[in-house]
Amino acid sequence: MRASSTTLTRRMLLVAVSLAAVLAAALVLALSSGSGGEGLMRSLTVVLGQGEPNPVLETIVWRIRLPRALLAALAGGALSLGGLVFQALLRNPLAEPYILGVSGGSAIGAIIGILLGLTRFPGVSACAFLGSLATLALIVAMSSGRSVLKKDALLLSGVMVNAFCAAVIMFLVSMTQDARLHNIIFWLMGDLSSADGATVALLAGILLPCFGLVFLFSHAMNLLLMGNDMAQSMGLQLRSVTVLLLVVTSLMVSAVVSYSGLIGFVGLVMPHLLRFVWGSDHRVLVPACILGGGAYLTACDILARVLPDQGEMPAGVITALIGAPLFIFLLRKTRR
Amino acid sequence: MRNRLFDIFMMGALISGMALCTAVPTEAKTVTDQAGRRVEIPDRPQRIVSLAPSITEIIFDLGQQQLLQGVTTYSNHPPEALQLPKVGSYVRLDLERIVSLRPDLCIAVKDGNPKSSVDRLQALGVPVYALDPRSVDTVLQAILEIGALLDAEQRAASMVRDMRSRIQQVTRRIAAAGHRPRIFFQIGDAPIVSVGTHTFAHELIVLAGGINVAAGPTAYPRFSREQLLGFAPEVIVISSMDRTAGSVEQTRTEWGRWPNVPAVRDGRIHLVDSDLFDRPSPRLVEGLEQLAGFLHPQIFGGSQ
Repeated sequence: MRASSTTLTRRMLLVAVSLAAVLAAALVLALSSGSGGEGLMRSLTVVLGQGEPNPVLETIVWRIRLPRALLAALAGGALSLGGLVFQALLRNPLAEPYILGVSGGSAIGAIIGILLGLTRFPGVSACAFLGSLATLALIVAMSSGRSVLKKDALLLSGVMVNAFCAAVIMFLVSMTQDARLHNIIFWLMGDLSSADGATVALLAGILLPCFGLVFLFSHAMNLLLMGNDMAQSMGLQLRSVTVLLLVVTSLMVSAVVSYSGLIGFVGLVMPHLLRFVWGSDHRVLVPACILGGGAYLTACDILARVLPDQGEMPAGVITALIGAPLFIFLLRKTRR
Repeated sequence: MRNRLFDIFMMGALISGMALCTAVPTEAKTVTDQAGRRVEIPDRPQRIVSLAPSITEIIFDLGQQQLLQGVTTYSNHPPEALQLPKVGSYVRLDLERIVSLRPDLCIAVKDGNPKSSVDRLQALGVPVYALDPRSVDTVLQAILEIGALLDAEQRAASMVRDMRSRIQQVTRRIAAAGHRPRIFFQIGDAPIVSVGTHTFAHELIVLAGGINVAAGPTAYPRFSREQLLGFAPEVIVISSMDRTAGSVEQTRTEWGRWPNVPAVRDGRIHLVDSDLFDRPSPRLVEGLEQLAGFLHPQIFGGSQ
């Protein structure tokens, strides 16, 4: 018993250190690339604090790129952790906040908040949270009962919830002929460009405690994966743990959605990749998802900033281009 | 050795001092911009970034284009503006690129540029002067304000005088017309979108002696084909933002299917450059003259 616990600690440490290094590399790259004209190497010298002072480039690196990179890292960590939790709780490898429509629900809430003229925080975020809770309740209600373990039933419910959410969003956008409309549509595609220092601090204040809380329940998620009866016999308060994790996850997802819009498939790509590399122990996977997901979305956002010749594309475009094909691949694989 | 270190240190100090000198403007003053914001701006700004196509046009018309360091993506007039560095579209500004151009003043429009971007630029130490052109009169005012900012007061004043007299010429001649034709001003095809009361196009229609059938509180109302036939417009102006040649022609052909609409029957369907009607720039007057020609060909002679 003792031996296995030390190997676990060692593995957790190994994962944390290596993925933290990857995340740090992604952040440095994010600080060094952008539309500001200066080359990668010039920016890198500023990041590393070397070379002669260059106030303009310093402003760009520390006050424009840094908040954005941190927002991407936080959002990526939260979304991929969200995916991991949903996959464990619903015992479905294809569950993910975006695919299940939870993101769509919070987007509806957020749009209503924006149209009501509320401020980003707490108004719009609270609306987004309510929206995500409502869709989550809907999904759980639809997929519970006899078909609880049926993978396809859950996914189909998610697809329909998503379609419904998309229709409600279009409805709201069509009903208001508004100058804000253009921004809403861009934001819906998953846009990280609005980041500033205050946003990041606020989001970190919400997300970091959530990360900690989920980590505390990582062993419980292991037990849940063994099946409800097993988990209960191991003394797990099944109902309360499930509810708590679902609420925490939708809080994370709605916080991310209200600041960066709909960024899909991050919660699918990262948990699968990490599970493939590090196995299925959630005590390892939870920190791995937070760090790896952060690195992944940071990297996607670099592409979104650098690929277009003029302006930027929403980061959600990149994550969907990578994630959707993977989803189809996983769907075919799990069917077999 | 010591001396050399000292030299290097002094060189470094000198270089950074020089960099600071060029970055910090000589004199600054606090002014209230057209949007009612109090902003501190340099006395004589030397590096301007224009955050809207209309502002780019005004700066070129004032002959101060040498100050322009960057413009927005759709700044297409005059053609020389296309050569300048781009800083994103006016609703999605690329802050990083703006900062990298080291502007000592950005000129913005209150209704187009997102407030969050303007606030962030200001927080990043880039002064932003915001204009708020809501009518032809405030456009003239905006030209005078840009003139004052860029040390081109006289040129601005004479431009405004000239524009006023051209507007008066149109309205004076229109006064003689007994009939005010009903006009449908179409800015979008799918969905069909027109212009409500609070738009430049509406103001120009009224000045040009027409009745805007889409007048109403919604700025850009959408209509169904049925509603359009009910309007029975006498003149149709198609001002599509979609510049691909085929699509505007297609809109015209589409109208051809409804010969009982007076405008279709009489062949009074006109295509215009939307830039003359939706940009708060000096070229609004050109748009006004075109519209007056469409609405009152008997007064202005010929269709143009």
